[in-house]
Amino acid sequence: MQKINRNVVLALLSLTSLVFLLFQLCYYKFYLSPKNGAAFSKARGSQSGQDSTRWHVVRKFLGLISSHNIPVYLIDPLILGLVDKDIEQIRSSPDGPSPECKYFCAPRDFTTFALLDKTWKHDVGLFRSAEKMGFQWLKIINKDPRLDGMDDLSGMEIPLHYIFKLASHAIHLVVFYERSGNFLWHGPLRLKQHMDRKFVPFRKLHFGRHPGAYEKPELLLVSIDDLKVQIPKNPSSFLEEMSHSRFLECRYREARAFFQLYPDDASLDAVEFRKKAKSLLHLAALTLNNLGVKFWLSSGTCLGWFRQCNVIPHSKDVDLGIFIRDYKADIIPAFQKAGLPLKHKFGKVEDSLELSFQGEDDVKLDIFFFYEEDDHIWNGGTQAKSGKKFKYLFPKFTLCWTEFVELKVHVPCETLQYVEANYGPEWKVPVKTWDWKSSPFNVQDNGIWPIDEWDNVIQIF
Amino acid sequence: MEEWKPNPPVKPHKKRSWYLAWKYKLMNQRALRKLCQTGAVLFLLVTVIVNIKLILDTRRAAYEEEEESAQDYDDEMLNVEVPRHPVNNKKVLDVEVYSSRSKVYVAVDGTTVLEDEAREQGRGIHVIVLNQATGHVMAKRVFDTYSPHEDEAMVLFLNMVARGRILIFTIKDEGSFHLKETAKNVLKSLGSQVAPFLSWRDMWTFVGKKGGEVYGEKHAKSPALSTWGDPVLLKTEVHLTSVEDAECHWPDTELNRRRKRFCSKVEGYGSVCSCKDPTPIEFNPDPLKDNKVFDVPVAVIAGNRPNYLYRMLRSLLSAQGVNPQMITVFIDGYYEEPMDVVELFGLSGIQHTPISIKNARVSQHYKASLTATFNLFPDAKFAVVLEEDLDISVDFFSFLSQSIHLLEEDESLYCISAWNDQGYEHTAEDPSLLYRVETMPGLGWVLRKSLYKDELEPKWPTPEKLWDWDMWMRMPEQRKGRECIIPDISRSYHFGIVGLNMNGYFHEAYFKKHKFNTVPNVQLKNVESLRKDNYETEIHRLLGEAEVLDHNKNPCEDSFVPDTEGRVYVMFIRMEQEADFTTWTQLAKCLHIWDLDVRGNHKGLWRLFRKKNHFLVVGVPASPYSSKKPLSVTPIYMEPPAKEEGAAAVPAVAAAAEQT
Repeated sequence: MQKINRNVVLALLSLTSLVFLLFQLCYYKFYLSPKNGAAFSKARGSQSGQDSTRWHVVRKFLGLISSHNIPVYLIDPLILGLVDKDIEQIRSSPDGPSPECKYFCAPRDFTTFALLDKTWKHDVGLFRSAEKMGFQWLKIINKDPRLDGMDDLSGMEIPLHYIFKLASHAIHLVVFYERSGNFLWHGPLRLKQHMDRKFVPFRKLHFGRHPGAYEKPELLLVSIDDLKVQIPKNPSSFLEEMSHSRFLECRYREARAFFQLYPDDASLDAVEFRKKAKSLLHLAALTLNNLGVKFWLSSGTCLGWFRQCNVIPHSKDVDLGIFIRDYKADIIPAFQKAGLPLKHKFGKVEDSLELSFQGEDDVKLDIFFFYEEDDHIWNGGTQAKSGKKFKYLFPKFTLCWTEFVELKVHVPCETLQYVEANYGPEWKVPVKTWDWKSSPFNVQDNGIWPIDEWDNVIQIF
Repeated sequence: MEEWKPNPPVKPHKKRSWYLAWKYKLMNQRALRKLCQTGAVLFLLVTVIVNIKLILDTRRAAYEEEEESAQDYDDEMLNVEVPRHPVNNKKVLDVEVYSSRSKVYVAVDGTTVLEDEAREQGRGIHVIVLNQATGHVMAKRVFDTYSPHEDEAMVLFLNMVARGRILIFTIKDEGSFHLKETAKNVLKSLGSQVAPFLSWRDMWTFVGKKGGEVYGEKHAKSPALSTWGDPVLLKTEVHLTSVEDAECHWPDTELNRRRKRFCSKVEGYGSVCSCKDPTPIEFNPDPLKDNKVFDVPVAVIAGNRPNYLYRMLRSLLSAQGVNPQMITVFIDGYYEEPMDVVELFGLSGIQHTPISIKNARVSQHYKASLTATFNLFPDAKFAVVLEEDLDISVDFFSFLSQSIHLLEEDESLYCISAWNDQGYEHTAEDPSLLYRVETMPGLGWVLRKSLYKDELEPKWPTPEKLWDWDMWMRMPEQRKGRECIIPDISRSYHFGIVGLNMNGYFHEAYFKKHKFNTVPNVQLKNVESLRKDNYETEIHRLLGEAEVLDHNKNPCEDSFVPDTEGRVYVMFIRMEQEADFTTWTQLAKCLHIWDLDVRGNHKGLWRLFRKKNHFLVVGVPASPYSSKKPLSVTPIYMEPPAKEEGAAAVPAVAAAAEQT
């Protein structure tokens, strides 16, 4: 009796041991192997190449929003990429039935759509019908940046993203807002503490890591995979725009703190200068954008944006930066045509190029051209009377969009490093007497122009 | 052990014997065998434990992985969420009510919900309404029933309160002098034993449920005319009901959800919370054909006068051509009740931390509101600016839609306003007629974005300057000779009696009899003639056809204007230079129109109606229209009153500022 007992115990233990061994194998297969390869959800979701779940979900979603008269458009980069290849054919046959499911059947976790905030009424009925259709939805709201710049206003939080999930597929609906400066803005996707972090694999979303700025797109109604959707008229330029759409909000809180320390100059002169600087900047932006030349706020204008979200009233000019690779010979005639005569031209395209245009009433527009090296970027300066050359060094930077005096403009994304390089660690303290040859933190002597080149590299009008 | 048999190894005997030998050996050595078995069991147990641990570890790793994946998207600001208060299951509220000559207070469950010990303030009957299910304060009012008519307001208010609510009354100082029979009867019907006998300087507290039980009442009689009753303190308990009992059972729609949220929080809005027949909160007025102001944002400037805001928004949302999506209500301060009103109507509201004091606070609030409006609607070229104490005419948007192009095209225009300062019942007649005036009336007006962004915003008075924004906007530095377009009959009505610079007397004298258009779809007459040069032609034509009145008569007398209808008359008054308004002010006074400062003039000309005739007043010789004066006519001169009266009028002008 006792013996049997013992044997049974032994057998049971061996069995458990075996079962656990099996478990181990299972876990290894499900959790550890996908880590090295694709992602978690793959094991749960669909694996096969052709998958109609996605198509059905998209179709349901489009039905839902059209029954509520909400105009959305497709901004999914992967689909737009595919669409772009066949754009001619899609344009020419907007209604033709498609032989195979080419776009909406590739297995993905998401399909991304955009919604213009002002085109819908925040109708809660939408969500109720969505639930009836089986969608689970998540709304991501946050502060309204259009009120952020204002002292002490607190509005309602605005919806920035919606996610509608059905079965294994999710629709990411990005809400775009119109901003001063005639552009569209979408917010970052940030989860609040109580939110379900596993609602969808957020990491794989194409929109939401950063806020973004876009032009208002022209739309085109097309039929792809037998679904009628609006897409940007020119998908490739939309994709291009998307790749550097990152938007930086001005640091309004810090700007307010700055004005606490150094009250704003509200004199009539300051008001007048700001008005002129603003209109000059608008004119310059219009001219350069028409030429397709990328530019950013540099020097004092950039400092003004970064430190106080406004034009520095005692700065007396407007400064822009342009990469030398974007230089076009048309720039000078274009500005002249816009009513801004060339005041001086220093340097040459190969070295230390700098242009100055005369704006209205002594407000000057300075354009500095930036030269990229392996580990830094620099621009040059020239002293007219001595022919001395100067060099201003900056760490490498990329460009981001921002809103400044009702304009969508570029600034270096790494603004702090840029401003610190230029103005040193004390950039927060206003300096009224400024010498461009000695005051900048990053200025270096760069020799003297050879006398025989002076006529070319020092031109004053 | 049999399985070993069929498959004997190469040297079975040796092997077998080795195995058996061991087996027997072990069998014999029981202790050793036992040890081995225990070892095996232990080993297996350890395996099991290790396995469990492994499972747990993998799981944690996987979880962390996913956590990490969402980390990029975490809100940087760690919202430390205050844990929600556990639902108050308490069924009984302790209520304390105190009434005395100089102080009243009400405490509910130890929390003071009313405390007033300010001098010279808060006299009369204080009323507090509590939600019978939650115990929350839904309304707080004071009715100065020492003064006339306040008891009527109290009756009106008490009638609006829903059945079942808990009402708390307490008297500060004096509350019986003008407490009439009707009001006393209403209090009696609420269950008060004392109310019918309340008399001079009695102290009184009362807690009861509307249409239900009485929780307590205390009273202290004043012993003599010159003294007050002793302070009374009433302590009582109130039994709460269930939430379901405290709510109405409206059909479950989005609108009714908003209504429910509103009605469970506040009281005193009448039939909007009626269970049987609630008044609508969505109005769907007829759309306007070819509405040119559909996309123009509307900024409603509000303070803490939620009842006003409620009335205002109702009229605004009922106006034809309104676009609720473009409306933003800007509330000066973190007041809850105005925000509740905004949410009731499904509009968006923005709260503004008050900056500075008094007039400067209003001014800063205006600036923030206007800037925010243009930020929120960057495409807009204009903004409509309204205040919370205005009724909006049914054809307000139609009026703007017909005239807004002028503001866009005519640079000599400063604004379009819905308000005619001189448009009283007896001086305004023609809803289709528009004027150009040199003063900015405000009270429902349209602002051009370029004017705001380029001129006004950068120069706006800073918080330390205690200026009125509208007085500032009227200053020549800002107005720069530009004019506003106004209608003859106002498209807004100023109903506010309580306000920064407003009181009942002032309202009655200057605002109550203001004419307000109630006719829908008025087709405006000859809008093009409002352009700068066209208007001059128009005025010359009018003056050409006008009959000169008999200047020997007294212009204040009714008989000054003949008993005709539809004629055009002109009179000439003395006006030595552009800023000489001596005679005009006297004339305005006797005509009972706005006389606190000069309004409604255009180059020394005023246009109004008398006895349904168009009545023009020309200031001679300052006005360029003086040339129309026949040589035989001597301009009328009216004496200003004696000095002291003139001086007394000065503060009144300042007081008129904000509201006009």
